[in-house]
Amino acid sequence: MFNNKKDKKNEQSTNNQQELQEPTKHYTKSELKQTLDTRTKEEFVNLIKDKVSSPADFIVKNINDEITIIYIENLIEVQSLNDNIISTLQSISEPTPQLIKEKLSLAQVDISNKLDVIIYELIGGAALIHTKENADIVVAKISSYQSRSLSAPENESQVIGTQVGFNENLTTNISLIRRFIKSPNLCNENFEVGEDTVTSISLLYLKGTASEEQVNTIRQRIESLDVSGLIDSAILAELIDDSTKTVFPQMLLTERPDRFCDGLLSGKIGIMMNGSSMGIVTPIAFIEFFHSKEDQNLRWQIGTMLRLLRFSAIIASVFLTPIYVAALTYHYEIISHTLIVPLSESRAIVPFPPILEALFLELIIELLREAGSRLPTKVGQTVGIVGGIVIGTAAVDAGITSNILIIFVALSALASFTTPNYVMANIIRFLRFPIIILAGIWGFLGIMIAVCFLLIHLLRLSSLGAPYLSPLYPLRLKDLPNSLIRLPLSNISRQAVNTRKGDDESTNQENNEKVSE
Amino acid sequence: MSQAIQSKQYEKINAFLVFFIICGCQIGVGIHGFQRVIYKDAKQDAWLSVVLSFILAHIVVFVMFKTLEKFDNLDIYGIQREVFGKILGSFLNFVYVIYCTFAFFAVLKNYIEVVNTWVFPYVNPQFIAIAILLLIVYAVTAGFRVVIGISFFSFFFLLWIPPLLIYPLYFTNINYLLPIMEDIIGILKGAYSMSFTIVGFEILNIVYPYIKDKEKKSAEKYAHFGLLFTFFIYIIIMLITLMYFSGPQLERVIWATLTIFNLIEFPFVERIEIITICAWLLIILPNLCLYLWAAYRGVSSVYNLEIKRFTWIFISIIFIITFFIKTRTQINTMNNYFGKIAFIVVFIYPFILFIFASIKKRRKKGTGDTS
Repeated sequence: MFNNKKDKKNEQSTNNQQELQEPTKHYTKSELKQTLDTRTKEEFVNLIKDKVSSPADFIVKNINDEITIIYIENLIEVQSLNDNIISTLQSISEPTPQLIKEKLSLAQVDISNKLDVIIYELIGGAALIHTKENADIVVAKISSYQSRSLSAPENESQVIGTQVGFNENLTTNISLIRRFIKSPNLCNENFEVGEDTVTSISLLYLKGTASEEQVNTIRQRIESLDVSGLIDSAILAELIDDSTKTVFPQMLLTERPDRFCDGLLSGKIGIMMNGSSMGIVTPIAFIEFFHSKEDQNLRWQIGTMLRLLRFSAIIASVFLTPIYVAALTYHYEIISHTLIVPLSESRAIVPFPPILEALFLELIIELLREAGSRLPTKVGQTVGIVGGIVIGTAAVDAGITSNILIIFVALSALASFTTPNYVMANIIRFLRFPIIILAGIWGFLGIMIAVCFLLIHLLRLSSLGAPYLSPLYPLRLKDLPNSLIRLPLSNISRQAVNTRKGDDESTNQENNEKVSE
Repeated sequence: MSQAIQSKQYEKINAFLVFFIICGCQIGVGIHGFQRVIYKDAKQDAWLSVVLSFILAHIVVFVMFKTLEKFDNLDIYGIQREVFGKILGSFLNFVYVIYCTFAFFAVLKNYIEVVNTWVFPYVNPQFIAIAILLLIVYAVTAGFRVVIGISFFSFFFLLWIPPLLIYPLYFTNINYLLPIMEDIIGILKGAYSMSFTIVGFEILNIVYPYIKDKEKKSAEKYAHFGLLFTFFIYIIIMLITLMYFSGPQLERVIWATLTIFNLIEFPFVERIEIITICAWLLIILPNLCLYLWAAYRGVSSVYNLEIKRFTWIFISIIFIITFFIKTRTQINTMNNYFGKIAFIVVFIYPFILFIFASIKKRRKKGTGDTS
């Protein structure tokens, strides 16, 4: 599906100059892609005004008889317009585009006679300078950025480590990344995607470390995107995923520049998008979703312990309630005699079968979580209190659920929050429901069927052609020190084998074939 | 007419995975109740039968590799057509496919029977069959890598079983093992009865072309390691069973391993065998997938059939057969027949094939030299 683009641009320059001449996006191509003729001032102004749907903030400013400036008021920096453009232009007597370009004390000034280029620059925040009887237009980029200041990442907080997160501005984000990696090998390719949004996307990777094949694949996927709008990188990640049929994400979204740069250093490919505070890191293995950057910032023994704790929490989170349902519905003989008495006592007044009881309680927990995350923080606390009372005592007193199930459900909810990645944490919670139902149908056999299905499913997945379950399968001994456990840094290889070049074990080719089908 | 498998580079596997394939394919349903069958023949020396049969298995693996190495990139189907000619070769391929189908069915049916007996007496076996078969379809249609991946993970699922067996040791009586080597004929018979349990390593015949070329030499080593691991599991279980049950008792226990698991008791959980039986699904999964894959290789050497279509046809046939074999007696008879066939296919036939292959190769060499 990604192959419908005929010509593949291999060399996409990062240079703005070249980008101007070769815009990636052509909106209503036939109309806009034309070269300007020599026009008078009025003709030019009318043409441009018409093409940008005559907005209210469209300003035409005549410096003198020969020079006219056109800009959109809300997009430009007025200070810069006054100091650098108007004052300079007033002093020029014989204006030609070339001369103006030389005189203007601005870094980003271009000359173009292509209508589409100047239109997009205008709505991107540039001032167009028209000189008398000249087809060439001077494009002075003085756009103003309104962006939130950098703050600590909220969703991926950690105690030890950098306390800075990405914000919504691509330029700021890339400068953050470049502060971490001062390497001339850091490649930054620009794309513009979305017919209406014309969103800037940056593809970042370390040349020589990242796999060329994977960079080509991702480049191809981005170039062949055909969407009208792109608002967040989460949507972008879904659009360029390997498989959309699965619930598991195949690209990591992170708001931490250190995590992002860590990925780049190990040979992964990063994608940043303007307007989104989340960077995409790919290819990513299943296990890496359960890693936190903090594991590496702590001593390795503690890091290992935390990871093992997290993995056991995930297993508990997915399987505790199903095991309760299976054991109480079908296999009560496996419950030891010491445990059966308190269990049956607490179950005695519950009128529902275990599966309904469990689903009911899990649903309450999910409702609480959902309500808590949607409400403003001030009201959010109330939800916690209400929830605590409702599921803490009232449900048991009313005889709707048993005490022990509440412990299980609360424990598994708690365990699911240990997953550092929000997207994956949601999936861990979601996984529980089908397994509870299967456990209600076939007991442990149902749980095992779910386990086998999950295993096969994860084995089938790939992230950018790299196996999803690596380094466990295919077994990559070099990557094992940084997988389920974390060994001292001297044991961890810098480059993830997943991204190794010429890795004949990776499913790259297989995946490319799939893509071309 | 070259039958060389044009397996692409990405489908090739590392040699060490052969270890997991052997373990995954050998340990299946036989382990649940092989003790009784062997005890009937070999009495208290049944563990010697296990040793003997594994020695034989090592020899067979050695011969298999010798045969496979003669034909570089051929699996058994290619070799048979090369050695016996098109008609006889195709017929033997057909026989081998039937054998794989039989093995698949035997594993599936035995597992379902165990589930029906121990865990869910009232669940219709056909429904369990459907669930398992659908899982297999999902796995096999994803290709060879996924199948091998399942055997890899299923091995780690096995590892928690040996530690559990420490518990029954408290109740054992070592005197039950005496006297040793009472009846040589009985031991040999027991080794013969072992064939239902021990088969699985013949999958090497099909897997061999998929091993990375430069690692093919070390594959044999891993195959032997795999056999050693399964030997270790079987011999421990056999010894514990022999020491735990008295003779007449063992003759009446169909699934002795499960009965032993029954003993194990933790403060929070009892009746471990119920969990074990359900968990066994993951352990028989590589068995089933690999046999299906083997059958597919055989069929695709004659007809150009897509794996997806073949898998659906195959499981439909299997599903239909499940209707005909139902009772314990029928399953027992089936197991006996399968044991006999497996003994011929796995233990006798490789030697025959090796002899014919050597003759063929030598003759070819001879004609090559004269012309």
